[in-house]
Amino acid sequence: MLQEELKNRLSEVKDKLIGIEETTERRIYLLCEAENAHAVNKFLFEDLALRFVIATGIDSDDCFEILYHFSNDETGCVITIKAFIRDREKPSIESITPFLPGAEWIEREIHDLLGIDFENHPNLRRLILADDWPEGVYPLRKACPERSEGTKK
Amino acid sequence: MSLKMWSLKKSVWVFHVNVGACNNCDIEVVNMLTPKYDVERFGIKLVGSPRHADALLVTGVGTHQAVIRLREVYRQTAKPCVVFLIGACACGTGIFKGGYHVAGPVDEIIREVDPDAIIAYVPGCPPKPEAMISGVVKVLSAL
Repeated sequence: MLQEELKNRLSEVKDKLIGIEETTERRIYLLCEAENAHAVNKFLFEDLALRFVIATGIDSDDCFEILYHFSNDETGCVITIKAFIRDREKPSIESITPFLPGAEWIEREIHDLLGIDFENHPNLRRLILADDWPEGVYPLRKACPERSEGTKK
Repeated sequence: MSLKMWSLKKSVWVFHVNVGACNNCDIEVVNMLTPKYDVERFGIKLVGSPRHADALLVTGVGTHQAVIRLREVYRQTAKPCVVFLIGACACGTGIFKGGYHVAGPVDEIIREVDPDAIIAYVPGCPPKPEAMISGVVKVLSAL
Protein backbone atom coordinates (compact mmCIF):
# COMPACT_ATOMS: atom_id res chain seq x y z
CA MET A 1 0.00 0.00 0.00
CA LEU A 2 1.47 3.31 -1.04
CA GLN A 3 1.68 6.37 1.17
CA GLU A 4 -1.20 8.26 -0.48
CA GLU A 5 -3.55 5.29 -0.24
CA LEU A 6 -2.55 4.74 3.39
CA LYS A 7 -3.37 8.33 4.31
CA ASN A 8 -6.74 8.14 2.55
CA ARG A 9 -7.66 4.95 4.35
CA LEU A 10 -6.56 6.34 7.73
CA SER A 11 -9.28 8.97 7.41
CA GLU A 12 -11.84 6.15 7.75
CA VAL A 13 -11.13 5.98 11.50
CA LYS A 14 -10.90 9.74 11.94
CA ASP A 15 -13.94 9.89 14.26
CA LYS A 16 -12.17 7.59 16.76
CA LEU A 17 -9.04 9.75 16.94
CA ILE A 18 -8.14 12.93 18.79
CA GLY A 19 -5.63 13.87 16.14
CA ILE A 20 -3.15 12.75 13.51
CA GLU A 21 0.45 13.94 13.64
CA GLU A 22 2.91 13.51 10.81
CA THR A 23 6.33 14.26 12.23
CA THR A 24 8.20 13.15 9.11
CA GLU A 25 7.36 11.60 5.75
CA ARG A 26 7.60 8.10 7.20
CA ARG A 27 6.27 8.58 10.74
CA ILE A 28 2.57 8.97 11.55
CA TYR A 29 1.06 9.21 15.03
CA LEU A 30 -2.61 8.49 15.62
CA LEU A 31 -3.72 9.93 18.96
CA CYS A 32 -6.75 8.38 20.65
CA GLU A 33 -8.38 7.69 24.00
CA ALA A 34 -7.94 4.24 25.57
CA GLU A 35 -11.56 3.22 24.79
CA ASN A 36 -11.00 3.58 21.04
CA ALA A 37 -7.52 2.01 20.86
CA HIS A 38 -8.87 -1.51 20.33
CA ALA A 39 -10.95 -0.52 17.30
CA VAL A 40 -8.12 1.50 15.74
CA ASN A 41 -5.67 -1.36 16.26
CA LYS A 42 -8.09 -3.80 14.68
CA PHE A 43 -8.54 -1.48 11.70
CA LEU A 44 -4.79 -1.13 11.13
CA PHE A 45 -4.10 -4.84 11.56
CA GLU A 46 -7.06 -6.47 9.84
CA ASP A 47 -8.30 -3.91 7.31
CA LEU A 48 -5.01 -2.26 6.33
CA ALA A 49 -2.93 -5.46 6.93
CA LEU A 50 -0.09 -3.55 8.56
CA ARG A 51 2.59 -5.43 10.49
CA PHE A 52 2.54 -5.08 14.29
CA VAL A 53 6.07 -4.24 15.46
CA ILE A 54 5.90 -3.69 19.23
CA ALA A 55 4.06 -1.72 21.88
CA THR A 56 5.48 0.73 24.40
CA GLY A 57 4.16 1.78 27.79
CA ILE A 58 4.97 5.21 29.22
CA ASP A 59 4.16 6.84 32.54
CA SER A 60 3.72 10.50 31.64
CA ASP A 61 2.71 12.08 34.97
CA ASP A 62 -0.95 12.94 34.20
CA CYS A 63 -1.77 9.75 32.30
CA PHE A 64 -0.38 6.48 31.00
CA GLU A 65 0.36 6.15 27.30
CA ILE A 66 0.40 2.90 25.35
CA LEU A 67 2.04 3.20 21.95
CA TYR A 68 1.26 0.52 19.38
CA HIS A 69 3.75 0.62 16.52
CA PHE A 70 2.74 -0.71 13.10
CA SER A 71 4.89 -0.84 10.01
CA ASN A 72 3.89 -0.50 6.39
CA ASP A 73 6.67 -2.64 4.95
CA GLU A 74 6.12 -1.49 1.36
CA THR A 75 7.10 2.10 2.10
CA GLY A 76 8.90 1.77 5.44
CA CYS A 77 6.36 4.05 7.08
CA VAL A 78 5.81 3.50 10.82
CA ILE A 79 2.32 4.27 12.12
CA THR A 80 2.03 4.62 15.89
CA ILE A 81 -1.25 4.57 17.78
CA LYS A 82 -0.85 6.63 20.94
CA ALA A 83 -3.56 5.64 23.43
CA PHE A 84 -4.04 7.77 26.54
CA ILE A 85 -5.21 6.06 29.76
CA ARG A 86 -6.52 8.90 31.94
CA ASP A 87 -7.46 6.81 35.02
CA ARG A 88 -4.26 6.66 37.09
CA GLU A 89 -5.83 4.75 39.99
CA LYS A 90 -7.00 1.71 38.01
CA PRO A 91 -5.40 2.00 34.58
CA SER A 92 -6.89 -0.43 32.08
CA ILE A 93 -7.18 -0.85 28.34
CA GLU A 94 -8.75 -3.46 26.07
CA SER A 95 -6.23 -6.15 25.09
CA ILE A 96 -5.41 -6.60 21.40
CA THR A 97 -4.09 -10.15 21.93
CA PRO A 98 -7.39 -11.89 20.98
CA PHE A 99 -6.97 -10.87 17.33
CA LEU A 100 -3.19 -10.21 17.41
CA PRO A 101 -1.38 -13.03 19.27
CA GLY A 102 2.01 -11.37 18.72
CA ALA A 103 1.07 -8.74 21.30
CA GLU A 104 0.66 -11.26 24.12
CA TRP A 105 4.11 -10.98 25.70
CA ILE A 106 4.56 -7.22 25.33
CA GLU A 107 1.18 -6.71 27.03
CA ARG A 108 2.27 -9.01 29.84
CA GLU A 109 5.52 -7.06 30.17
CA ILE A 110 3.71 -3.70 30.33
CA HIS A 111 1.35 -5.23 32.90
CA ASP A 112 4.40 -6.28 34.98
CA LEU A 113 6.30 -3.03 34.81
CA LEU A 114 3.57 -0.37 34.72
CA GLY A 115 0.60 -2.18 36.27
CA ILE A 116 -1.79 -1.61 33.40
CA ASP A 117 -4.67 -4.07 33.26
CA PHE A 118 -5.25 -5.46 29.76
CA GLU A 119 -8.92 -6.47 29.68
CA ASN A 120 -9.74 -9.81 28.00
CA HIS A 121 -6.07 -10.79 27.80
CA PRO A 122 -6.07 -14.61 27.73
CA ASN A 123 -3.01 -15.09 29.93
CA LEU A 124 -2.03 -12.03 31.96
CA ARG A 125 0.56 -13.73 34.19
CA ARG A 126 3.86 -12.32 35.44
CA LEU A 127 6.48 -12.35 32.68
CA ILE A 128 9.80 -10.72 33.55
CA LEU A 129 9.86 -9.70 37.21
CA ALA A 130 11.13 -12.16 39.84
CA ASP A 131 8.70 -14.70 41.31
CA ASP A 132 9.07 -13.11 44.76
CA TRP A 133 8.57 -9.54 43.52
CA PRO A 134 5.86 -7.92 45.69
CA GLU A 135 2.37 -7.54 44.21
CA GLY A 136 1.31 -4.02 43.37
CA VAL A 137 4.83 -2.60 42.99
CA TYR A 138 5.40 -1.41 39.44
CA PRO A 139 9.04 -0.42 38.89
CA LEU A 140 8.60 1.72 35.79
CA ARG A 141 6.05 4.04 37.40
CA LYS A 142 7.61 7.36 38.25
CA ALA A 143 6.30 7.26 41.84
CA CYS A 144 7.76 3.80 42.52
CA PRO A 145 10.07 3.79 45.57
CA GLU A 146 12.01 0.79 44.24
CA ARG A 147 13.31 2.86 41.33
CA SER A 148 16.90 3.84 41.89
CA GLU A 149 17.68 7.45 42.75
CA GLY A 150 19.73 7.87 39.61
CA THR A 151 16.87 7.19 37.23
CA LYS A 152 14.35 9.53 38.90
CA LYS A 153 13.45 12.79 37.27
CA MET B 1 49.95 -28.83 47.07
CA SER B 2 47.05 -31.02 48.02
CA LEU B 3 45.75 -33.64 45.64
CA LYS B 4 42.50 -31.72 45.27
CA MET B 5 44.31 -28.53 44.21
CA TRP B 6 46.54 -30.46 41.81
CA SER B 7 43.53 -32.04 40.13
CA LEU B 8 41.72 -28.71 40.01
CA LYS B 9 44.59 -27.10 38.08
CA LYS B 10 45.25 -30.04 35.78
CA SER B 11 42.42 -29.41 33.32
CA VAL B 12 39.80 -26.89 34.31
CA TRP B 13 36.26 -27.78 33.33
CA VAL B 14 33.94 -24.83 33.48
CA PHE B 15 30.23 -24.37 33.96
CA HIS B 16 28.78 -21.19 32.50
CA VAL B 17 26.19 -19.32 34.60
CA ASN B 18 24.31 -16.33 33.21
CA VAL B 19 22.71 -14.31 36.01
CA GLY B 20 21.27 -11.44 34.00
CA ALA B 21 23.88 -10.65 31.36
CA CYS B 22 23.06 -8.96 28.07
CA ASN B 23 24.58 -11.95 26.22
CA ASN B 24 27.63 -10.00 25.09
CA CYS B 25 29.97 -11.62 27.63
CA ASP B 26 28.40 -14.99 26.81
CA ILE B 27 29.29 -14.57 23.15
CA GLU B 28 32.90 -13.82 24.12
CA VAL B 29 32.96 -16.92 26.33
CA VAL B 30 31.85 -19.00 23.36
CA ASN B 31 34.39 -17.18 21.19
CA MET B 32 37.10 -18.32 23.62
CA LEU B 33 36.21 -21.93 22.80
CA THR B 34 36.24 -21.52 19.01
CA PRO B 35 39.27 -22.58 16.94
CA LYS B 36 40.92 -19.14 17.02
CA TYR B 37 41.64 -19.29 20.76
CA ASP B 38 40.78 -22.96 21.28
CA VAL B 39 41.22 -23.24 25.04
CA GLU B 40 40.21 -26.87 24.88
CA ARG B 41 43.82 -27.68 23.95
CA PHE B 42 44.64 -26.71 27.58
CA GLY B 43 41.89 -28.99 28.87
CA ILE B 44 39.47 -26.12 29.49
CA LYS B 45 35.99 -27.01 28.31
CA LEU B 46 32.38 -26.24 29.04
CA VAL B 47 30.43 -28.92 30.86
CA GLY B 48 26.70 -29.38 31.29
CA SER B 49 26.51 -29.70 35.06
CA PRO B 50 28.10 -27.81 37.97
CA ARG B 51 28.83 -31.20 39.58
CA HIS B 52 31.36 -31.89 36.82
CA ALA B 53 32.89 -28.40 36.95
CA ASP B 54 36.10 -27.06 38.50
CA ALA B 55 35.21 -23.45 37.75
CA LEU B 56 32.13 -21.29 37.34
CA LEU B 57 32.06 -18.60 34.69
CA VAL B 58 29.53 -16.08 35.95
CA THR B 59 28.23 -13.32 33.67
CA GLY B 60 25.62 -10.69 34.48
CA VAL B 61 24.59 -8.38 37.32
CA GLY B 62 22.81 -10.95 39.49
CA THR B 63 19.06 -10.27 39.23
CA HIS B 64 16.62 -11.12 42.02
CA GLN B 65 15.32 -14.07 40.01
CA ALA B 66 18.77 -15.45 39.13
CA VAL B 67 20.73 -15.17 42.38
CA ILE B 68 18.67 -17.93 44.03
CA ARG B 69 19.81 -20.25 41.21
CA LEU B 70 23.38 -18.93 41.44
CA ARG B 71 23.61 -19.83 45.15
CA GLU B 72 22.29 -23.31 44.39
CA VAL B 73 24.71 -23.79 41.48
CA TYR B 74 27.61 -22.71 43.69
CA ARG B 75 26.56 -25.17 46.41
CA GLN B 76 26.42 -27.98 43.87
CA THR B 77 29.83 -27.27 42.33
CA ALA B 78 32.52 -29.72 43.37
CA LYS B 79 34.93 -28.02 45.82
CA PRO B 80 37.54 -26.67 45.60
CA CYS B 81 36.36 -24.51 42.74
CA VAL B 82 37.23 -21.16 41.22
CA VAL B 83 34.60 -18.55 40.39
CA PHE B 84 35.40 -16.33 37.42
CA LEU B 85 33.33 -13.16 37.27
CA ILE B 86 33.27 -12.19 33.61
CA GLY B 87 32.54 -8.62 32.61
CA ALA B 88 31.86 -5.29 34.29
CA CYS B 89 28.37 -6.33 35.46
CA ALA B 90 29.51 -9.44 37.29
CA CYS B 91 32.54 -7.62 38.79
CA GLY B 92 30.44 -4.90 40.44
CA THR B 93 27.02 -4.52 38.74
CA GLY B 94 28.46 -1.90 36.34
CA ILE B 95 25.96 0.56 34.88
CA PHE B 96 23.06 -1.29 36.52
CA LYS B 97 24.16 -0.35 40.06
CA GLY B 98 21.10 0.49 42.15
CA GLY B 99 18.64 -0.84 39.58
CA TYR B 100 15.32 -2.13 40.91
CA HIS B 101 15.93 -5.71 39.88
CA VAL B 102 19.61 -5.99 40.85
CA ALA B 103 20.42 -8.18 43.85
CA GLY B 104 24.19 -8.30 43.18
CA PRO B 105 27.18 -7.66 43.26
CA VAL B 106 27.76 -11.30 42.43
CA ASP B 107 30.92 -11.65 44.57
CA GLU B 108 28.96 -10.69 47.74
CA ILE B 109 26.29 -13.26 46.92
CA ILE B 110 28.89 -16.01 46.55
CA ARG B 111 30.65 -14.90 49.75
CA GLU B 112 27.33 -15.28 51.60
CA VAL B 113 27.33 -18.97 50.66
CA ASP B 114 31.06 -19.52 51.13
CA PRO B 115 33.23 -16.80 52.74
CA ASP B 116 36.41 -18.53 51.53
CA ALA B 117 35.42 -18.81 47.87
CA ILE B 118 38.19 -18.30 45.31
CA ILE B 119 36.91 -15.44 43.15
CA ALA B 120 38.67 -14.01 40.08
CA TYR B 121 37.56 -10.82 38.38
CA VAL B 122 37.82 -10.28 34.62
CA PRO B 123 36.52 -6.77 33.93
CA GLY B 124 35.54 -5.42 30.53
CA CYS B 125 32.37 -4.80 28.59
CA PRO B 126 32.74 -7.41 27.25
CA PRO B 127 36.24 -8.68 28.16
CA LYS B 128 38.26 -9.98 25.24
CA PRO B 129 38.95 -13.71 25.12
CA GLU B 130 42.62 -12.84 25.65
CA ALA B 131 41.68 -11.15 28.94
CA MET B 132 39.75 -14.21 30.09
CA ILE B 133 42.62 -16.55 29.20
CA SER B 134 45.01 -14.22 31.01
CA GLY B 135 42.72 -14.30 34.05
CA VAL B 136 42.66 -18.08 34.06
CA VAL B 137 46.45 -18.25 33.79
CA LYS B 138 46.91 -15.78 36.65
CA VAL B 139 44.52 -17.65 38.94
CA LEU B 140 46.02 -21.05 38.20
CA SER B 141 49.56 -19.80 38.79
CA ALA B 142 48.49 -18.12 42.06
CA LEU B 143 46.84 -21.22 43.50
